[in-house]
Amino acid sequence: MVLRKWPLLFCAVAAALFAPLYLGPFWLSLLMQILIFGLLALSVELLLGHIGLFSVCQAAFFAVSAYTVAILQVKYGQPTIVAVPAGLGAAIILSLIYGIAVRTSGVYFILVTIALGHVFWGISWTWVSFTNGEGGITNVPAPAVGSLTITSHSSYYYIVLAVVALCVVGYRTLTRSPFGLTLRGIRESESRMRGLGYNIAAHKYTAFVLAGTLSGIAGLLYIYFNRFVSPANAEFFLSIEVALMVLVGGTGTILGPFIGSAIMLGLRNYVSAYIDQWMIVMGLIFIITMLWTPDGVLGVIRRLGVWGRTSHNQPGHRTPTPEEGK
Amino acid sequence: MNWILQALNGFSLGALLFLLASGFTLTFGLLRVVSMAHGMYYLLGGYIGLSVVWFTGNFWLALLAGGSSIAILNYFVNRYLIRRTGENHLAQVLLTVGVVLILADIALTIWGGDSLSLPPPAFARGPIELPGNIFYPKYRFLLIVFGAIIGAVLWIFYRKTQIGAIVRAGVEDREMVNAMGINIDRLFTLVFALAAFLAGMSGVAGGAFLSLYPGAEWEILVLALVVVIVGGLGSLEGAMVGSVIVGLVDAYARWLLPEFSHFAVFAPMAVLLLFRPQGLFGKEA
Amino acid sequence: MDQNAVEVAGLTKAFGGVRAVEKVSMKVPVGQRRALIGPNGAGKTTLFNCITGTFFPTSGKIFLFGKDVTRLAEHRRTAMGIGRTYQITNVFHDLTVLENLILAVQGNSRQKWVMHRPVSAFSGSLKRAGKELDRVGLTDRTHDSVQHLSYGERRQLELALALASRPRVLFLDEPCSGLSPGERQRIAEIIREFPQDITVILIEHDMSIALGLADQVAVLHRGSIILEGTPDEVRANPEVREVYLGKV
Repeated sequence: MVLRKWPLLFCAVAAALFAPLYLGPFWLSLLMQILIFGLLALSVELLLGHIGLFSVCQAAFFAVSAYTVAILQVKYGQPTIVAVPAGLGAAIILSLIYGIAVRTSGVYFILVTIALGHVFWGISWTWVSFTNGEGGITNVPAPAVGSLTITSHSSYYYIVLAVVALCVVGYRTLTRSPFGLTLRGIRESESRMRGLGYNIAAHKYTAFVLAGTLSGIAGLLYIYFNRFVSPANAEFFLSIEVALMVLVGGTGTILGPFIGSAIMLGLRNYVSAYIDQWMIVMGLIFIITMLWTPDGVLGVIRRLGVWGRTSHNQPGHRTPTPEEGK
Repeated sequence: MNWILQALNGFSLGALLFLLASGFTLTFGLLRVVSMAHGMYYLLGGYIGLSVVWFTGNFWLALLAGGSSIAILNYFVNRYLIRRTGENHLAQVLLTVGVVLILADIALTIWGGDSLSLPPPAFARGPIELPGNIFYPKYRFLLIVFGAIIGAVLWIFYRKTQIGAIVRAGVEDREMVNAMGINIDRLFTLVFALAAFLAGMSGVAGGAFLSLYPGAEWEILVLALVVVIVGGLGSLEGAMVGSVIVGLVDAYARWLLPEFSHFAVFAPMAVLLLFRPQGLFGKEA
Repeated sequence: MDQNAVEVAGLTKAFGGVRAVEKVSMKVPVGQRRALIGPNGAGKTTLFNCITGTFFPTSGKIFLFGKDVTRLAEHRRTAMGIGRTYQITNVFHDLTVLENLILAVQGNSRQKWVMHRPVSAFSGSLKRAGKELDRVGLTDRTHDSVQHLSYGERRQLELALALASRPRVLFLDEPCSGLSPGERQRIAEIIREFPQDITVILIEHDMSIALGLADQVAVLHRGSIILEGTPDEVRANPEVREVYLGKV
C-alpha cells in the first residue's frame, strides 16, 4: 500500500510542478481555481470529517480576507505585505466571533452557520460606502514584495501551489496529532469525551477557528488570482457549493475535497460552454450525490476495491441528530 | 410618529415571516426534516399567484393557487426525494438546495430576472387612517391582521384540537404516537402539505409589498431561519414570538442603521446563542 | 483513612415533575468498594450522573475529596480524579482500540492540545495505553477497529477507558450488563484486582457479583436510600428482600 502510494505522489508532484509548461492559460487558471476552492473545501472537511459539524459559513471567512486585502490595497493603497497579514487576521477575528455557533449542534449548527454566513454577505452588500456593494472591489493590484511584482499567471501558480501544499502538510500533521484524534473522539461520542476530561466546547471552538483560518488563506490566494471581489464570493451558495465538493470527492481524506473541487469546477466549465442551464445541472449534481453516492467519488472507488483504506477515518458524513447530542 | 410607522412595518414583515417560519418549524418538529426549499416555495408561490392575478385579476384565487400548487409540488419533492434521506440532516440540506437550484432556473426561464410586483387587491389599495392621525398602507395593515388570524387559527389547531394534540405528541416523542396506532403517515402528509401551502401563500401575500426577484428565495429563507433559531426549532409559539422580534428589529434597523440592517437582524440571534442556544421556546438543553 | 472520596448531601434530581433521586445522602470513604443496588428505575444511574457531572442536581450538594463540586463541569471533575463507565457501552466505534485508549490517557493532560506532532510520537501515552489494555486483556486487539470487537470485548474496553484516565474514584455503571456468566466472572476479577487506593462505586444487578465485590452496600428504592450496610446485613434484611431480592 505504502509502496504503491509513493510513485503516485511523485507523479502528482511532478505533474503539478511542470503544469505551466504544458497547460495553456485557460487550463492553468482552472487548475489554480481547483486548488484554491479545494483548500476552501478542505476547511469544510476539517469540521465535517472530524467533528461531524457541517459549517455553511466558510464563504464568509473566505470573503472577509479577500475583501480586507482588496480594500486595503485599492482604497488605502497599502502594500501586499500589510494587506495579506491583515486579511488573515480578519478571517481569524471573524471566526473567533462566529465561533459562538459551536454552542449548538446538529441541525441547529447548520441553521446558525447559514444565518451567520448571510450576515457577512449582507454587510458586503449593503455597506456600500466601504465595500462598494453589489459592484464589489475591482482592480486589485498584483501581489508585490518590495520591487518584485508577480504579474504572470504561471509565476502566481507556483505561489498558489506552494501555499496549498503547505496547508495540506499542516492539515495532515494536525489530523494525526493528539488534537486531531480528540476531534474524532468528539465526533464519535461527546458524552464519553466529557467523562474522560475533555472540554468539548473548547476543542470545537479551536477547530472552528482553525477551519476559518484555512478558509481565510484560500481567500487570500483567491483575491490575487481574481483581482476582484464581490458579494458573490460571500454567498450562502458558495459555502454550500464547497460543502458539496467535499461530499462529491468523499469525506475522510485530504484528497477528497480537491477531487470534488476538480469535478465541480471542471464540469461547470464544460457544461456552461454548451448550455445555459448550468444551475439545473448543478441542482441535479446535488440530488444525485445525496441520493446515490453519499460517500463520494473516493467512496465509490474504495467500494470497488481499487484503492483500499487510504485514511485515518471512515467515510460517511452523518451529522449528529439532536437526539444523539443528548 | 416614525417609531409607530416602523413598528407597523416590523409587524407586517413579522406576519409574513410567521407564515413561512411556522411551516418550517412544524415540519422540523414533527418530521425532523430541514428543508431549504421553503424560501423557493415562497418565491414560486408568489410567481404563480402573480400569473393568476395577470390572467384572472382575482387576488383570492391567486392566494389559493399559490398555496395549493406549492403543496402539490412539495408532496412530490417529499415523497420521491426528501424521504429517501432518512434523518440525515446534511443530506436533506444539500438535497433541497439542489431542488431550489432546479426550481430557480425554471422560474428564471418563465418569469425572467426582473423584479416583479404583485398588485394588491382593489379593496386593499391606498392608505388607511389609524387612530392618532397615522396614515399607513392599507395592504400592509391588513397583512398584519391576516397574519394574526392565521397565527390564532394555527394556535387553536395546535393547542385545542385533537389532531393538534397528536401533532404535539409527535413533536415530543414520535415513537409514542406510532405506538398509539395513529396513522402517522397521513398526519405527516397533512402537516407537510399545510407547511407548503402556507409557504406558497406567503409568497403571494409578500409579493404585494416586497417584490419578487431571483435571489429573494435565499433572503427570505435566511430571515425565516433566524426566526426559527430565535424562537426555538419545533415550537409554534417560538415562531410567533421570533417573527415579531425579527420583523421589528429589521424595520428599526433599516430606518436607523440602513447600512447595517443585515447585521442588526442577527444580533438577537447572537445574544440568544450565547445565553440560550436552544432558542426562546426550544427544549433541548 | 478519615477522608471521604465522595460525599452526597440531600441530593435531589427532578426531571419535569418526576423526582428520579430524592434527598439522597451518602458518604464513601477513600478506598472503599461500594455497591449501589436497587430495582430498575430506582435512580441509581441518575445518582451517578449527578455525581460525575453529566447533569446538575436540582438541589443538594456533592463533595469530592472534601471539595464542593456541585456546580463543577464534568470534565473538571474528571480532572479531579473521577472515572466512569456506562451502562450502555460508550466507546469510540470508528477508532481503533489503541486510539480509544490514547484518548482516555491524554484526557487529563495538556497533550490533547498538541497539534504539531503525531500521536505516535508520544511514547509515554502509548506505553500507558498498552498497560491498561494488558490489564483488561485486550492486548491482541490493539490495532483493531472497535467495530470488529465482540460485545464482551467492548465491555472490557469500557473498563479500560475508565482506568486509563487514572481515576481516584471509579464509577462503574453495570459493568457486567448483557454478559454471559463466564464473562461476568472475568470482569469481576478485573475489578477485584484494581489497586486498593482506588475508590470504587458500582451499580450491579447481578447480586452475587455486587455483594461479592463490595465492602459496603447502599440500597436505592424509588430515588431514596432505604438501607446502607455490609453485604451480610443487606442479605439478611427483610425489607430489601421484599423490594429487590424477592423479585430476582
